[in-house]
This record gives sequence, C-alpha cells and structure tokens, in this order.
Amino acid sequence: MKTVKKFTRVNAKTVEEAVSALRAANAWAMAGGTDLVGTMRFEILPDTMYPKILVNLKTIAPTLDYIKEEKGMLQIGALTRLEDIAKSSVVKSKWAALSEAAHKTASPHIREMGTLGGNICQLTRCWYFRLHDNRFFCVRKGGKTCFAISGENRYHSIFGGVSACMAVNPSDTAPALVALNAKIVTSKRTINAEEFWAVKIPRSTVLENDEIVKEVQIPGPASGVKSAFVKFALRSSIDFPIVNCAAAIGGGTARICLNAVYNRPYRATKAEESIAGKAIDVASAHAAGAAAVTGAIALAMNKWKIQVAAGMVKKAILACA
Amino acid sequence: MPREEKKKSAEENEKDRSGGISRREFTIASMAIFGAASVGEGKAITQVANKKLAQPGIASQATAKLPLTSSARKISLTVNKWKYEVYVEPEWILRDVLRDQLGFLSIKDMCNGYGACGSCTVIMDGRPVLSCMTFAAECDSATIETAEGVAVDMQDLIEAYVMNHCMQCGYCTPGFVVTAKALLDRIPKPTEGEIRDALGGNICRCGTYTQHILAIKEVTGNA
Ligand SMILES: Cc1cc2nc3c(=O)[nH]c(=O)nc-3n(C[C@H](O)[C@H](O)[C@H](O)COP(=O)(O)OP(=O)(O)OC[C@H]3O[C@@H](n4cnc5c(N)ncnc54)[C@H](O)[C@@H]3O)c2cc1C
Ligand code: FES
Ligand code: FES
Repeated sequence: MKTVKKFTRVNAKTVEEAVSALRAANAWAMAGGTDLVGTMRFEILPDTMYPKILVNLKTIAPTLDYIKEEKGMLQIGALTRLEDIAKSSVVKSKWAALSEAAHKTASPHIREMGTLGGNICQLTRCWYFRLHDNRFFCVRKGGKTCFAISGENRYHSIFGGVSACMAVNPSDTAPALVALNAKIVTSKRTINAEEFWAVKIPRSTVLENDEIVKEVQIPGPASGVKSAFVKFALRSSIDFPIVNCAAAIGGGTARICLNAVYNRPYRATKAEESIAGKAIDVASAHAAGAAAVTGAIALAMNKWKIQVAAGMVKKAILACA
Repeated sequence: MPREEKKKSAEENEKDRSGGISRREFTIASMAIFGAASVGEGKAITQVANKKLAQPGIASQATAKLPLTSSARKISLTVNKWKYEVYVEPEWILRDVLRDQLGFLSIKDMCNGYGACGSCTVIMDGRPVLSCMTFAAECDSATIETAEGVAVDMQDLIEAYVMNHCMQCGYCTPGFVVTAKALLDRIPKPTEGEIRDALGGNICRCGTYTQHILAIKEVTGNA
C-alpha cells in the first residue's frame, strides 16, 4: 500500500481555530477522511493543490456530530456519520429521502467513517481526475483539457460541461438535500442547498478557503409531502451512483433532483412542472421522467445514461405516491 | 552453506520485516485461530496465539529503527484488550501501525487502500472501520479489536466460519469476521437482510459470500 506524503496536522479545538488554520496555503479540512486519504495516497492533485496541512475537524468541541429536531426543523451537524443518519429514526420518520440516501451511500464501513459534511464537499470521481500521480492534468487541476470529452466518457455529464469539464458530482446525499430544500450553515453564512455547488471549477462548492460546513438544516415536510431517494449503481452494496434521484412531492408541489448527471446536482425543473399537482401513476411519472431529460446532450459513450436518468426520475416519483 | 542454516536466516529476515513474527509462527498462530476451534481445544490455543501475536509487537516498536521525526507523537491504543503506546508520524496509516509495527497480521490490504474491499476492517470504538483510510495519529485512546481479538472473544463465530467453509484462499476472511463481530455486538440476532447489509463492504475474490450468511445465521441460532 502506498504511503502518504508528509503533512502537518492541526487538531482544531473550535470552529474559529479550524477556520484560521485553513487560511494557510494548501490547508484542507479533514473529517472522516474517506475521500481525502485516497486523494492524498494516490497523489491525484498537482503539487500546487496537494494538502500540506490537514485541519482535523473531529477534535472541535462542542462536537459537530449531532442529529436533532427543533421546532419541526431537522438539524444535522457536519461531522455526523452517514451511518448514524441512516439509522436515525427521527430522520427516517419525516425526511425519508435523506435517510435512504445516507443508507445507500458507499459501503457500511465508509458510512461509519464518512460524514455528511464530507459527503457534500467531496471531489469528483472522474477517472481522469482521479488517476494516480496526477497523470491527467485536467481543467479541474488548472490544466487546459477535459480528457473525458474525447476519451472514456460513459459515466460523464449528460447536461453539458461547466468550464469545459464533463465530470459529475458523485454525492448521494446532495440531491436529497436539494429535494428537501435544505440549508447549509457554514462558519460564515447560510446557503440554500441548491446554490451550494453553483460554482466554476476547479472548485466543487461555493465554500471559501477559510469556510467550513457546520450544520445542515432541513425544514419539516409540509403536510401531504412525501420524499424518496433512488440510486442506480453497478453494485448496490458499495458503488458510486451512475445516476441517483431524490424527490419530495405532495400538496401540489414537487422538488426533484438528479445527481451524477452533471457537474453539480441537477434540479429537474421540467419534471417538477410536469408532475406537480397531478395524481402520481405510472403514466404521469413516465411523462415527468421524459420531461426531466429534455435538453440532455449525450457524449460519445453515454447516451444510455439519459434513459437511466429518465427512469430514475420516474422511480423516485412513484416512490412518493 | 548447509541447507538448515540457509532456511534459518530466511526466517530471520522475515522476522525483521514483519515486526518480530516469522511467517511460520504466524501460520501456526493463525491455524490456531481459524482451525483449533473445531477440534475442541480452541480456547487455550487461541489465547496463546493472541499473546504470541500481541506480545512481540511491544518489543518491536521499542527496538525498531524507525525513521521518526520531530513531528512524531505518542498515542495510546487498546488493541484486543492489550494496551500499547506507540510513536506515530502524522501521515502514518492505522493499518500499517497495527500490522507492521504491532504485529496484528490478520489485517489485510486487498484493494491497495482505495477503501473498496473491507479486508483491513477493525472495530474501533464499536464501529467497523477501514484501517487503511484512517490516520493513526487521530486514534489516540481508541479501543480497537482485530480478528485476533474476535478469535478469543467470539469463538463460536470462528467455529461457525470453519464449519461453513467461509474461506477459500482466506485472504478476505479476517475482514469479514471483524465486520460480523461488529454486527453481532450491535444486533445479537440479525435478520438475513441485516447480515447482507452489514457485510456489503467486504469483497471476496473467491466468492464465498453465501457461506458467511450461513455461518452468522448458525451462530445466532437463526439458521
Ligand atoms: C470505495 C468508496 C465508495 C464510495 N461510494 C460512495 C457513494 O456511493 N456515494 C457517495 O456519495 N459517496 C461515496 N464515497 C465517498 C464517501 O462517501 C465520501 O467521501 C464521504 O461521505 C466523505 O466524508 P468524509 O467525512 O470521509 O470526508 P473527507 O474525506 O474527510 O473530506 C472530503 C472533502 O470534504 C472536505 N470537507 C469535509 N468536511 C468538511 C466540512 N465540514 N466543511 C468543509 N469542507 C469539508 C474535505 O476538505 C475534503 O475535500 C465513496 C468512497 C469510497 C472510498
Ligand atoms: S485495504 Fe482497506 S478497504 Fe481495501
Ligand atoms: S476467500 Fe479468497 S478472497 Fe475471500
């Protein structure tokens, strides 16, 4: 097993301490490490980006590891492990989409380590970006080329690129947070989940260098609204999503979000318009699925993903019936 | 050189590399762990095996010429109820410290540290986690259990594993055993669905999956 290059660790005791340590060059926040350790071990990033300082958020007190319901609103600390979210009866009772998404993320071991904050901030899994030793110096690393455009792009974006990058956001919990209209509370501000990833590459989130996620807040579901999450992956027990979809539908409203189809979670507004206020049945769900992918543009090898995305939207809607 | 001597020095070399335990000793110890339960004198033998694996480790860090720098820190770990104090560099991975320095050879590395196989699983503070994705320096005062510990703590699980032929090459088995133990600690009588769910992150190249479910069901009386 490859060893990890030398770095300095800062065990932050407070959010303020973490934030100030993150102002240093090449300082990265470290939560469960399931994404970061791999990135470091395989040296996928160029030296200009490689972590030199890891700011350990697990030592912050009072801990950011909690799940609570206050005045009908769900509050989850950024350092809460995915497995704890998946097992929480509170989350399961009213925020089914997030409960399911957390449960279907990665493998049990990774869920026992990986946190919600880390899951929404994780880097893309594009195989060009991730190849060992920075073999592909792509646009996301400050290069000039997206190697997926003319290369192996069977799992890449079906809604075009952002700054000519065709990578997709791999998070399972992200679309659930968008569908459930969550807010992301950082050390600086509160951001609507939908806007959290609305940023140009090479960044993955709108977070600034010295900003960390503290909490995720989700409003209680309006009456009659049901939510669900569905995921399509090669092996259901461990793999990243090929396409996933979360939906929250009822009381005349609908919020539907796909992920792993675009640079950031992709809100399927056309599907929402198509299904909102209608009775959910196979025909209406099918029509909404088809509406979701109007405007999709296939790359050379991923036309099949468009069909999968339409199917995922249909399935998510039917699960809200 | 006479044959005998040659053999001996190879074994010594091996000892140097593996923190004081030769492959032969390890084989004997692991045979005790995975084999003895079925012949009825498991308890005594596996406890000896556990000592054998744990004891030399203490000496090994004390005597090893490690390239420690000023950034090394002392951490204390409780591994299979044994207490250890080890110096670790910030970038050292828990798996390497447990296996290469403390001699817990049950911990494997099947996927090169991608976090994708579960063969390096240990139970840390009650959670089955991947030691290949964990920095040792972040584990100060953690309580850890490895397959060596499970062999002592939950002999009937090991016995069920043997009786149900849960291994072919056996490389993934310690990871499965540890994950199964973590499951049984939390849910003493898991359903088949819960078993499948819990073992979802353990990969077996030889395809022994169905047998693990039989073994765990057998040990919980749910067969
Ligand atoms: C084999 C394997 C399979 C996987 N499968 C899936 C899958 O199916 N679905 C899925 O969604 N994910 C999957 N993952 C990814 C994994 O789930 C996520 O990496 C995990 O949730 C990340 O959480 P973490 O706490 O370990 O993050 P870390 O590795 O600690 O951090 C990840 C990133 O987020 C940043 N970060 C972490 N916390 C904060 C914070 N509070 N504020 C600001 N920035 C922060 C870090 O700087 C880093 O860049 C998989 C990973 C592996 C190794
Ligand atoms: S070696 Fe740790 S998961 Fe494969
Ligand atoms: S028994 Fe060979 S890998 Fe599982």
